[in-house]
Amino acid sequence: MRVLVIDPDPARAALVAEGLAGVQPLEVRRAATFDEREAADFAPDVVVIAADSPDRDTLESLREAGQHNPRAVVMFVDRSEPGLAEQAVRAGVAAYVVDGLAPARVRSILDVAMSRFALTQQLRGDLAKAKADLESRKTVERAKGLLMKERGLDEDGAYRLLRKLAMDRGKPIGQVAADLLAFAGVLKGDAS
Amino acid sequence: MSGLADLTLGFIPLTDCAPLVVAKARGFFAEEGLEVALSREASWATIRDKVTVGALDGAHMLAPMALAADSMLAPLALNQNGSAITVSSKLAAMMREADPAAMDAPLITAQALAGVIERRRGQGAPPLTFAVVFPHSMHNYFLRYWLGQAGIDPDRDVRLVVTPPPRMVEHLRSGEIDGFCVGAPWNAVAVDEGLGEMLIKASQFWPGGPCKVFGVTAAWADRHGDELRAALRALIRAAAWADEPGNHAELVALLSRPEHVGVEAEVVARALKSEIVFHRDAAGLPRREHALWFLSQMVRWGQVGPEVDLEAVADRVYRPDLFREAALSLGPVLELAQVFADAAPLASALFDGAPFDPANARAYAASFAVRRVR
Repeated sequence: MRVLVIDPDPARAALVAEGLAGVQPLEVRRAATFDEREAADFAPDVVVIAADSPDRDTLESLREAGQHNPRAVVMFVDRSEPGLAEQAVRAGVAAYVVDGLAPARVRSILDVAMSRFALTQQLRGDLAKAKADLESRKTVERAKGLLMKERGLDEDGAYRLLRKLAMDRGKPIGQVAADLLAFAGVLKGDAS
Repeated sequence: MSGLADLTLGFIPLTDCAPLVVAKARGFFAEEGLEVALSREASWATIRDKVTVGALDGAHMLAPMALAADSMLAPLALNQNGSAITVSSKLAAMMREADPAAMDAPLITAQALAGVIERRRGQGAPPLTFAVVFPHSMHNYFLRYWLGQAGIDPDRDVRLVVTPPPRMVEHLRSGEIDGFCVGAPWNAVAVDEGLGEMLIKASQFWPGGPCKVFGVTAAWADRHGDELRAALRALIRAAAWADEPGNHAELVALLSRPEHVGVEAEVVARALKSEIVFHRDAAGLPRREHALWFLSQMVRWGQVGPEVDLEAVADRVYRPDLFREAALSLGPVLELAQVFADAAPLASALFDGAPFDPANARAYAASFAVRRVR
């Protein structure tokens, strides 16, 4: 069975393709955009497409198979249980299959795709959080440096002062450090 | 009013998403007690699916898409006009060479295209490729109608493909397509970049013709009657605001923002000036005749078989009653004569003057020389 993965997000597409490679026997190909000629050459049995790909509407038009598209295409979740359709839409995945394919086989492909989409989202969330944490750590370091210089504190004293300010204001320490740096900038005339 | 639920509404980056963007940015939703998040979507299919499963509460929709879906309601029309047919500069030159007289009259330019197609056939050249935005769209029926009136069979004499609106211009540039029918602002973008010529606008094809609607599911409307009324009131006020020439500079600035349509302000401005109507002339009223015209074209092109009761579909999906109720409750705010201009006869004459009787949509579909009636 041949599966074509269309996803403008290359990292996510790679993750989906890698996950599908475990479903035997499959030939998986991935592309950022849907190209009718390329697709005709590959002749996929299933197209898995990200909901945020604008090519969905092109695939939708292949459901009305004309003379240029002899292989009629149906949207997989059309004929499946409604719960699955909802799950797929919320996960951001759609699957189009050549008419007549066994639903059970498509279901396993869609399951892999959905789980990989969820995994991508989680990884992206983790990465954003890690970046924010790192950013906040850098900000705290700079604020500490400022306090050490302006108030003659040692590193430990500067950190304790920041922590006290954060507790008094009920704000995260990174936020207090950022405010402090911004105010220092204003006082020096940076924000003129 | 307060205590209404938060709503998430979807839209596609096109000028006619304006009522949603305006209602949010100008605070009309907030004044109705609605906390609305707008979600920009990449395809009509995703809009339809997300609304169907409840991931979106409602959305900017192609009117025929709402009619073709299983459980959608169209309680408000978002605009009249706005789309157009554009061909590449190269094809326009070939058309001018084939039939200069036809190219000078916007209503019969397709005859020049028929001349080019005939010539290419003689040379054994591959068919010309035209793009529309979705199988169930005004754009598809507009292009097919225009081709059909010149004796061009859209399924046999040319190749029709579906391309997302923001990619039309790029595909015209690369030569992948020779022409397209799409909504504003993409025709103006192609002309602006010197890539193509606009041959006929929707306002010439069908003055005051329909295009997009605000769509929700029937189940959602049942459960959220108050929210729906509030959303309709906000959208009607936004549409009236968007029609005011004095607000156009602000509207253009809003629409051209990257999170909305994301194209140059001047290009957005051009299509607004003469073409799109959001509110006046009862533009917001979802008219039964419009629904039946769309359904007649679905019959004509074989998208709908003989088993479908067209009038029942029109009455189930198009809900002028919900529009009226919301619009009437805004009475003092709006000029009611503009909201209910439907008392006047429908100016539905298409450019070819063929009479359309909504009560005989199937006969109308069968009356065309070029058709795919099942």
